[in-house]
Amino acid sequence: MVSLRFLLAVPLVFLPLIAIIVYFASTGAEEAEKTVLIGSGSSFIAPQMYAWASQLKSKYPWLAVEYESVGSGAGLANFLDGVRDFAASDPPLPKNLWEKYRGKVIQLPVILGAIAVIYNLPEAGEGLRLTGEVLALIYTGEIKYWDDPRIKELNPGLNLPSKEIIAVHRSDSSGTTEIFTLFLHKSAPSVWPRELVGKAIDWPVDRKGNGVGAKGNEGVTSTVKSTPYSIGYVEWSYALDSGLPMAAIMNPRGEFLLPSIESIQKAVQNVELPESPLGDFSSLPLDVVYADVEGAYPIVSFTFLIFWVEYPQEKVEAVRTFIEYVSTEGQMEGNVVKGYVPVPDNIRRFNLEAVSLVREG
Amino acid sequence: MAEVRALLDILFKGCVLLIAFLALVPVLHLTLAAIVNGGPVIASAGLKFFTEVPPPPGNRTYGILTSLIGTIELALLSTLVGVPISFMAAVLVVEFPHSRLGRIVRLLSRTLLELPTILIGMFVFTIIVVPLGSPSILAASIALALVMLPYVTTYIETALSSVPRTYREAGLALGMTKARVAFTIVVPIAVRGVVTGILVGLAKAMGETAPLLFTLGRARTSLNVDPLGPGDAIPLLIYDYAQAPYENLREVAWGATLVLITLFLLVYVLARLTIRGVRV
Repeated sequence: MVSLRFLLAVPLVFLPLIAIIVYFASTGAEEAEKTVLIGSGSSFIAPQMYAWASQLKSKYPWLAVEYESVGSGAGLANFLDGVRDFAASDPPLPKNLWEKYRGKVIQLPVILGAIAVIYNLPEAGEGLRLTGEVLALIYTGEIKYWDDPRIKELNPGLNLPSKEIIAVHRSDSSGTTEIFTLFLHKSAPSVWPRELVGKAIDWPVDRKGNGVGAKGNEGVTSTVKSTPYSIGYVEWSYALDSGLPMAAIMNPRGEFLLPSIESIQKAVQNVELPESPLGDFSSLPLDVVYADVEGAYPIVSFTFLIFWVEYPQEKVEAVRTFIEYVSTEGQMEGNVVKGYVPVPDNIRRFNLEAVSLVREG
Repeated sequence: MAEVRALLDILFKGCVLLIAFLALVPVLHLTLAAIVNGGPVIASAGLKFFTEVPPPPGNRTYGILTSLIGTIELALLSTLVGVPISFMAAVLVVEFPHSRLGRIVRLLSRTLLELPTILIGMFVFTIIVVPLGSPSILAASIALALVMLPYVTTYIETALSSVPRTYREAGLALGMTKARVAFTIVVPIAVRGVVTGILVGLAKAMGETAPLLFTLGRARTSLNVDPLGPGDAIPLLIYDYAQAPYENLREVAWGATLVLITLFLLVYVLARLTIRGVRV
């Protein structure tokens, strides 16, 4: 008898679960033919991608865009392996990869982001001003105290304490670190050499004992929040969410600026784009960081969507619709998530060209 | 003397109770934190918390439909794949411990236990996701089945080997074959342990994140139940949303945590109830 009861028990547990699945399978089947585009890549753009995906779904019920945030490098590898339909990457394709896939790959700079410098100074509050050089000196460990004359000089009105600066940086490999170190190098090449630019670097300040590594933007944010007299760099959206004060950073024109939609867009207004979305973008990041433009925030970067030129017939329309949406309506106010910045009009028009490049193949 | 002994006895009892309580603290804390933080989120959203797709950032604070259905489907599929294999492996190891195959299976199952689950995810990525050209619920289920395999095997093994030798001998004395003894005598006696093993597998499959990272995809825009298409899962949703810089996503993550814990309890209690009548 025992075995009979056992045989009864298992379906009893599973039946309700199976019923739920079957119910949803049947309701799902009623929907019309659906095209699914799956992409992966940059974790930076993920919230914006989720927003676009949900806007697209309500506008075009037949189109489902799914996105996985796995990091720019992994996303690009997946895409080139053919496991995903598109990729999102903070850096564009490097020159050698672009040469290899020349004419086959479309790159679109679809959104702008900025890196904010957040700090925790109980005595001083808001209004800290910093230059790239001072930041570089802090992250090399050269400037050790908040009341260092080089910081005081920039901030005559602030009550700077004689406390050690805790410099927080990313412990994981990150595009954010790459852009930040690129900025340090471009604004203070003598203090921050080219070798110290990268996704994960050997931080000089760690060797002096004043550096702290934290994982992810959320890790850096919470470390700065819980550590008085610390400073760190995070994506703008995290800085906004944390409520921590941000430092105004000096651009090449000598202006001290906080990240804002306006100051971030300024950084790319004169940027030189390739002749078409099929072109080589590899030098673009260096051009937008520390851009010599009036009113431009200096630590800015693009995020790119990367597509193939040729798609199987059933996906062509979906890809075209997706590109058209992110180049037009997706850039409008209300469709862009807090912490992200839409690209200026000229870049939207540039991206829209890609719609006609996508073909069946 | 007697008083001292009584006192020591009380002291010892107190220590044991205290330490046992300490062991429970993390579990209690976790459950409580999920209820305190997730409860209000679900309460304010009501049924919509379960029937809407996950929200975009800076928007509503409800919607876990894709993850909920995904987790249930994954748990079912991976149990379907994993349990029969584990069951047969356990029978083989316990009933035929000296056969070469039995020894190899035991060794492999122990080795699998040591493997980091992320590696299993990457393994399934290379052998299933890449050839299929897309992440899928099926690929994720196979990854989860591999993760739960050694746990379920070990549980069923323990249950089977706890059956006294005399029962086996009685069966053999009646002229039954070894396989017949295993399936008609040993397994029915050990049914409770076997079911516990299956449950542990189910729970394992519901709670794992790492094997899903490369294999499942994240189909959050619209619900997909086709096993060959991409899916979503509650642990994956929590993993993504808990670190997001948007308050509404973190709230959804808390709600989802509470749902996950409730699902655990539900499956456990349900199974316990149906098994209760069984006597050895």
